[in-house]
Amino acid sequence: MSTAATSHTRWFGRLLFAPIGIIYVLFLLAPVSFFLALSVAKYHPNELFLPIPTLENYRRLLLDGFYLAVLGRTLKIAALVTLFSLLIGYPLALFLARTRSAWRGVLMFLVIAPLMSGVIVRTYGWIVLMGSEGLINMTLKALGLVAAPVQLMNTQLAVVVALVHILVPYMVFPIFSALASMDRNVERAASTLGARPWTVFLEVTLPLSRAGIVMGCALVFTLTAGAVVTPALMGPRDAKVLGQLIYELVSSTLNWPFASAAASLLVLCQFLVILAKFRSGRRG
Amino acid sequence: MAETPAGTRLASGLPAPPRLELGPLQRFGAGLAVTLIYLFLLAPIVIVVAASFNPDQANALPRSGLSLRWYREFAASDGFVSAFKFSLQLGLVAALAATAIGLVTAYGIVRFLGRRRALGQALALMPMMIPHILISLSLLLLITQISLPEAGVLLIGHVMICLPFTIAGIIASLEGVDHQLELAAWTLGASRLRILWEITIPLVAPGLVSSMLFAFIVSFGDVYISLFLSSPGKTTLPIEIFTYMLWDSSPVVAAITTVQMAMIIVLGLAIERLVGLRKVMRL
Repeated sequence: MSTAATSHTRWFGRLLFAPIGIIYVLFLLAPVSFFLALSVAKYHPNELFLPIPTLENYRRLLLDGFYLAVLGRTLKIAALVTLFSLLIGYPLALFLARTRSAWRGVLMFLVIAPLMSGVIVRTYGWIVLMGSEGLINMTLKALGLVAAPVQLMNTQLAVVVALVHILVPYMVFPIFSALASMDRNVERAASTLGARPWTVFLEVTLPLSRAGIVMGCALVFTLTAGAVVTPALMGPRDAKVLGQLIYELVSSTLNWPFASAAASLLVLCQFLVILAKFRSGRRG
Repeated sequence: MAETPAGTRLASGLPAPPRLELGPLQRFGAGLAVTLIYLFLLAPIVIVVAASFNPDQANALPRSGLSLRWYREFAASDGFVSAFKFSLQLGLVAALAATAIGLVTAYGIVRFLGRRRALGQALALMPMMIPHILISLSLLLLITQISLPEAGVLLIGHVMICLPFTIAGIIASLEGVDHQLELAAWTLGASRLRILWEITIPLVAPGLVSSMLFAFIVSFGDVYISLFLSSPGKTTLPIEIFTYMLWDSSPVVAAITTVQMAMIIVLGLAIERLVGLRKVMRL
């Protein structure tokens, strides 16, 4: 039936895309474009915005030391979270793709289950672990390593650890996909030709899973850059990240144009990451 | 699995291909690493369950016995209970809508796009590529410009973030359907709608149910869409917890999240039974 390209077929095919098309255009593309367009509008305390084009918002964002620090902090945290997610996610994906254990289904479920439990649940778990009377401090005290509780909550370390935990499944899935769909005979060939296991991994397995790595890193990086809840609950009160800044600009000061400029940077960062993904896809 | 049979079938005097096994020391190292990773993944969740039975005020492990105090507190709290109910309703409607729209979209992508399929699939997954906080803010802005019911826009936001998951899941299920069956019905004169309703949908039913469950989970756990679109009386559970935790903190959060996790584990196991979580993982 797909071969008979009658006008009737085309009409039915288009009808199938009508619902999603309407929703995406009216409630995704149009509002998001409108919101991003506000970034070049003027702020007015009594109006939502003034329709006067200006680059003032971007200038303030990129020249003011306070906002530059927010940007730098956001990028630093995103880079760290991406790096550690990769270091934890790759071995896990490799294990899940290669294991012949009877528990494989359960082990996979244990990776997906935390993802399904939502951001709040996992953030709260880390608050319990890292509190001054939390398990980590109790263990350190019991071992006699510290006398007084170590300050873990409200530090950037706490944010990074919790975000790695929250986002690592997004790293595991694409890498797992890449590894599971790989032809293992290539690895065998390298091994037959005398490559040591470590060489096989570095020269064959790792390059062949690159698409998955790039995809995973892109996901984790952008999700970290846009995080609000975890930094708000676990991070330092005086050192905010971009997501928190946007949240507060809208919810307390109602400065939509400036919030829009800050969000545009988030989109820019996302765009660069997607670009990197496609470039690597073409090479791979 | 298929390793040795393929090797022995060569029967041409070539040695069987190496099995790429790890040595005992490497095996131990890998096992240790994987165990530590799982410990890292599961510790915060196990801790929450344990903390929910704490009789004290502290967000910590129980030290002086166990109690159901915080579960009673949860049941007695109007704010949390109504938020829980609202999240259930929202998740249910959003999951149904996202599955219905996801089905027709996935069907169109698999059967009608031909060479443009990759593009169609990428466009369909768009909400996953846009930061959710941006979607939420834009929808809030939309409400300030056009008077739309806030709850309706919140629902549409939830449907949008569920769609990438339902579409990807249903595409995977549709790929398992033999196209010949549909062609046979077509040859015998069935209309397109009848083919969809009587052939395709029954064949992908497990995929539909599991996509719906997954969409419900996505909606129920969402924070970012609801962050700006919750209104008094129409607040989702994660937002109710988030605003509570900004000012206050007690194991009542542990009790609520334990209840939530129990629900999610049951749904997750249902998905596993229906189609296998692997399918859901391969987005």
